[in-house]
Amino acid sequence: MSLDLPLVFAALMGLAMLLYVVLDGYDLGVGMLMPAADAREQDLMVASIGPFWDANETWLVLGVGILLVAFPAAHGVVLGVLYLPVAWMLIGLMLRGVAFEFRMKAEGWHRELWNWLFWFGSFLTSFAQGFMLGRYITGFHPGFGYTLFALLVGASLCGGYVLLGATWLILKTQGVLQGKALGWARWGLAWVALAIALVSLATPFASQSVQLKWFDFPRTLALLLLPLATLAAGWLVWGATGRLKRGEPAPDWVPFAAAVAIFTLAFAGLAYSLFPFVVIDRMTIWEAAAHPSALKFMLVGVVIVLPFLIAYTAFAYRVFRGKASTGLYE
Amino acid sequence: MDEVLLLSRAQFGLNIGFHILFPTLTIALAWILLYFRIRYAQSGDPAWLATYKLWTKVFALTFAMGVVTGITMSFQFGTNWPGFMLKVGNIAGPLLAYEVLTAFFLEATFLGIMLFGMNRVPGWMHIFASAMVAIGTSLSAFWILALNSWMQTPTGHVVQAGQIIAGDWWQVLFNPSFPYRFTHMLIASGLTAAFVVAGLSAWRLLRAQDDKSARATLRTGLVLAAVLAPAQVIVGDQHGMNTLEHQPAKIAAIEAIWKTEKGVPLVLLAIPDDEKRRNDFAIEIPKGASLLLKHDADAELKGLDAFAPDTAPVAPVFFAFRAMVGIGVLMFIVAWWGVWATRRGMLPPRWMLWTFAGFTFSGWAATECGWIVTEIGRQPWLVTGILRTADAAGGASGAQLGASLTGYVITYAGMFLAYMVVLTHLAGKGTQA
Repeated sequence: MSLDLPLVFAALMGLAMLLYVVLDGYDLGVGMLMPAADAREQDLMVASIGPFWDANETWLVLGVGILLVAFPAAHGVVLGVLYLPVAWMLIGLMLRGVAFEFRMKAEGWHRELWNWLFWFGSFLTSFAQGFMLGRYITGFHPGFGYTLFALLVGASLCGGYVLLGATWLILKTQGVLQGKALGWARWGLAWVALAIALVSLATPFASQSVQLKWFDFPRTLALLLLPLATLAAGWLVWGATGRLKRGEPAPDWVPFAAAVAIFTLAFAGLAYSLFPFVVIDRMTIWEAAAHPSALKFMLVGVVIVLPFLIAYTAFAYRVFRGKASTGLYE
Repeated sequence: MDEVLLLSRAQFGLNIGFHILFPTLTIALAWILLYFRIRYAQSGDPAWLATYKLWTKVFALTFAMGVVTGITMSFQFGTNWPGFMLKVGNIAGPLLAYEVLTAFFLEATFLGIMLFGMNRVPGWMHIFASAMVAIGTSLSAFWILALNSWMQTPTGHVVQAGQIIAGDWWQVLFNPSFPYRFTHMLIASGLTAAFVVAGLSAWRLLRAQDDKSARATLRTGLVLAAVLAPAQVIVGDQHGMNTLEHQPAKIAAIEAIWKTEKGVPLVLLAIPDDEKRRNDFAIEIPKGASLLLKHDADAELKGLDAFAPDTAPVAPVFFAFRAMVGIGVLMFIVAWWGVWATRRGMLPPRWMLWTFAGFTFSGWAATECGWIVTEIGRQPWLVTGILRTADAAGGASGAQLGASLTGYVITYAGMFLAYMVVLTHLAGKGTQA
């Protein structure tokens, strides 16, 4: 039996995208929360993501890289249609990436300006990504309703990233800032709940093939596990943040882990809805795949490199475990 | 269609031209930092630690600029040149994927430890992290230059059922121009970083003569530049010979040789006229080009007429090459002169410090010129003999390209201004920053 290379690369691309959304999601979320904190707290918030943001963004390059490299035909279609939102996202990523460095070295109103640009870049990136997701799952259909839907998904993703960012801060900070983060996380959760409900209701209307896959008894019953598990994860966030707010003992990592679970479940639902299409209703992963010689050569690299990559990423998170502190060399 | 091609090229050219500034500096600066870090570990001297910290700040800033503009580039491969991936994606794709896998994650992750982990990990681990960052940046250069060189001088590929795929990956990677281009670029990076270190140290010394750290780093930068400058002359010459063998049309454009002749003169300066296909106001050395390129005064050299109509615009290539060589010669002189003037711990006079400060970004200027030569010089080909630039464009409309180009120009201008302000600020404060 030979290996189904396009399937393997679709799985790898999915993994890279999920890791990107979760990892850069928390640091984009922290960026969007900046205006809600005071100057000292802002420094702590930035310090909590400082060692990680760069590697987090690399997952986006890998995910899009796999799309480009393993599914070149789909890459042309997707990025061609999404040309402008991609450009906005890139400008957002650039602004926040450099704002990160500049704000540490600036003083006075310069620092304020970079804080503001850090917020704006984080927001622009998140919104553009959600907008693109909305366009993508509706097969890039033109029309007012579809654009409205994409805007809705854009706003939802911002809410999701805020949830991730706030729960990350619960894990990485303490005292007053942690207290604030608990409040933010609950707002973020409410936003996410509303958004998931709306998107779930709108998606079958927006795409017929998704509708068919969802309402296919008896598989629908098994599929119900996804929303149920999502509800459970949401309840965990609500319960744990509530206990922490009241000063009762609760592990500070639970809200973040549960938020990650919500994203993973939503991602699984999306992957199920789309499979085996890479461009919905138009192109399957096998139709879009690159030549086997290219895929094989890359797979060798992935198999060799991935264990190291996971090992040193885990090492970096271990080095910076515990509560964040400000200061470049601490 | 012409409008789309022009805007695609303008946008991509702007982006790579802007992006390359930052890796050019960080590739070598990462190794210089490792040197500072090891000096501190050996001596325990807090001055070395302060030096390391100061230059780490410069590095982190430059690295961030490189990362964000690099992410943009990774998207623009697809958005601006859809035909590129369709035609040669089976070769270009894996090379880019290997760059991400082996280099990007390595440098990004260990940079976190290098910047924020000094008090959290043992000293040897911190040195190891610094080394990983340096290896990562150089590995990144390896993959991207392998791809660029393959596009210039493609080998190792086969055509199977209309698709271009790799027959022999070793030949794809180590294609004829790769060893020369890679070495040329690494040395260019070394020279760029050396002059930035020397220049910013001189800038500091103009404000505070007794700054010992700045004196030490001025010397480090100048010595490094003095060692690398002659090496670059040799490697550059070899690279030129390699280009003559594999991309003779590019050499004809560089030297503004319009007609195939024997005993071709070397055009030192002229105004090449692409319309009338001749040089105006030429200052020439008789038989010089034949002598220089073939080591034989009467040898025949192929002119642009031999490759028509597939030739590059001559004027930009011709001028950029002369600018690169000119700046390189000045850098050579300044470096050696500087080494002499700083011997035995001497402090050079203020006007010399001003000269070093003025040469801070000379490496950038020369590197930009070099890339203009090699990238415009290969036109009209994107992949020599396989894919024309015009056939790779498309995807976005002129209006979309125009709108996003405007956004990029504004963003880049703002970023560059801020970068320069912070750099001068850091340099002005020195190790007290």
